[in-house]
Amino acid sequence: MATDPQAGKPASAEGPGGARRLGFLSGRAGWAAAAVALLFFIALPVQLYGSQQRTLAAAFMFVALAQGWNLIGGFAGYPSFGNVVFFGLGGYTTAILMAKAGASFYVALPAAALVGLGFAALMGVPVLRLRGHYFAIATLGVAEGMREVVLNLDGLTGGGSGLTVPAVGIEATTSYPGNAGFYYMFLALAVLATAVVLWVSRSRFGYGLRAINQDEDAAAAMGIDTTRAKIGAFALAGVITSLAGAMYAFQQVTIYPARLFDVQITLLMVVMAVIGGSGTVVGPVLGALGLQFLSEYLRDNLTDYHTFVFGVIIVVAVILLPQGLVRFVREGWRTRRFSLLDNVRAYRL
Amino acid sequence: MTEFLQSTVYGLLQGGLLALVAVGFSLVWGVMNVVNLAHGTFVVLGSYVAWQLNKSAGVDPFLGMFAAAACLFVAGYAVHMLLINQVIKAPIWMTLLLTFGLELVLINAMVLLFSGDFRSIETGWAADAIALGDVRIPYGRLAGFLVAVGLTLALVAFMSRTRLGLAIKATGMDRDAARLMGIRARRVYATTFAIAAAMAGAAGAIVGTVGTFSPASAPAFTLQSFVIAVLGGLGNMWGALAGGLVLGLVQSWGGQYLSGTLVTAIAFGVLVAVLIVRPAGLLGKPYYEARVEI
Repeated sequence: MATDPQAGKPASAEGPGGARRLGFLSGRAGWAAAAVALLFFIALPVQLYGSQQRTLAAAFMFVALAQGWNLIGGFAGYPSFGNVVFFGLGGYTTAILMAKAGASFYVALPAAALVGLGFAALMGVPVLRLRGHYFAIATLGVAEGMREVVLNLDGLTGGGSGLTVPAVGIEATTSYPGNAGFYYMFLALAVLATAVVLWVSRSRFGYGLRAINQDEDAAAAMGIDTTRAKIGAFALAGVITSLAGAMYAFQQVTIYPARLFDVQITLLMVVMAVIGGSGTVVGPVLGALGLQFLSEYLRDNLTDYHTFVFGVIIVVAVILLPQGLVRFVREGWRTRRFSLLDNVRAYRL
Repeated sequence: MTEFLQSTVYGLLQGGLLALVAVGFSLVWGVMNVVNLAHGTFVVLGSYVAWQLNKSAGVDPFLGMFAAAACLFVAGYAVHMLLINQVIKAPIWMTLLLTFGLELVLINAMVLLFSGDFRSIETGWAADAIALGDVRIPYGRLAGFLVAVGLTLALVAFMSRTRLGLAIKATGMDRDAARLMGIRARRVYATTFAIAAAMAGAAGAIVGTVGTFSPASAPAFTLQSFVIAVLGGLGNMWGALAGGLVLGLVQSWGGQYLSGTLVTAIAFGVLVAVLIVRPAGLLGKPYYEARVEI
């Protein structure tokens, strides 16, 4: 049972005068902010160098990945530590179809989504019966095992020496979109993923997932088909993540199992979703954009120490903001009390 | 036939060492419900302590092992009190993320201090071997195996025969009930974490003697600990020993008869299968299963 982090705090939403205070950036203000941000990002590439476009494209990719994790980890409360398996499968499906079957990218992309969907459903049936750490470890095991399988299927995947997508010249099946093309592609995917999460958060399906997160047995007793809801959330996550993998494979041109099934990618999407606020719509967007910029900034300015500092930031953020940025701001806005110390006190022994 | 015997012997020797690597990981998971992703870095830190002592003072790694264990004990206690304890009651992925951040910090610190090169602790005797028929057994591996199994058994005895060991077990079964009995859960957790780190440090000294190590080998130790802990059942010391031997044998046989790294795929396949069929592990007791499923 999850302990309530807000225990001991005033829980009422009523202000002193009895009037309900508006939530932070809720309603029309939130929509307006989202529209402005979207227009800004659509207009931005003209002003940027190619390398800056690549950096932003990577940030959008992580928005999509974090939102994918958010569905299964944030809403359903199943902490998947193997989501990278969909990323890798999507990437390899695309690369194999383009390199070996001569398919166009626009055929390979939906195929990758189907593979992600199918694998999530297939893997979800046994694995989603496990709870807590057992689920986390089983998904991690599936991802690590899949990397080894891909590594050893040399004939199909090229093994450790990688697989190259035909991107230039006469063999290219689809003309290479270039930096700006991938920028818009990943932006579209990030918007799509966020829209899916927004829909889930307001639908009956999403309320079912939240109920499963709080108490699965009680949710089942209330008539929620928990197996179906969990597999649905996992499959949605699988589709979004494999689409990201497909685009990434085309962008990178040559892909390697060690990179496409890197456990660090899973961990990054979890960190981004959790620090932004898992189980919220905006949290993973802020977490992914914020951490990606921070990581790039550190890479440029502290070449030798950037992983070190990045690790310190994760440790500090987990201790100071265990409920995520969005919930912290929302709660603080409501109670007019922003105290990081309360956060530290909430979970210590 | 000789090949098979040789790989079996190597598998068993390596398995005993893997058991020592994983026993602390399993203990922390079983007692505190914390999956320590930084466990592998504790192993490599132990290797560096023993390596540094050997290089600057000529200390034999099997003596340096105790220094490594002592250093890691203190470090583990401090890490728990300063970091892990702050999120011990949070949802499980918080502790996973915290230890992931810690892993990044420690690996990077080791790269900065010692560079990313692969190293090995040199001794005059560890590479010499006894021959039993056609089977070669290097002294270093044999000594490492004996020490590793001895330490694991000592931990088993400590857990069931001392007051502190029983306090750790009791806290693992029901933290609140243990606190009502006057057990200081925070200190017990810190001690458990420190013991786990010390075991990992000792294992690291042996690992550095019988093979090579670098900061990059840390994640592999963590993953092997996962497999062993799950195979053996969480918090189950005998299980860790059995799981270590099984994994050592599987890896050794696989390396002999399978191409490439397919053996790793099989190890993870076995892991997932065991989780799905028997989540309490091969030797796991039901109460661990009941307690860990929160």
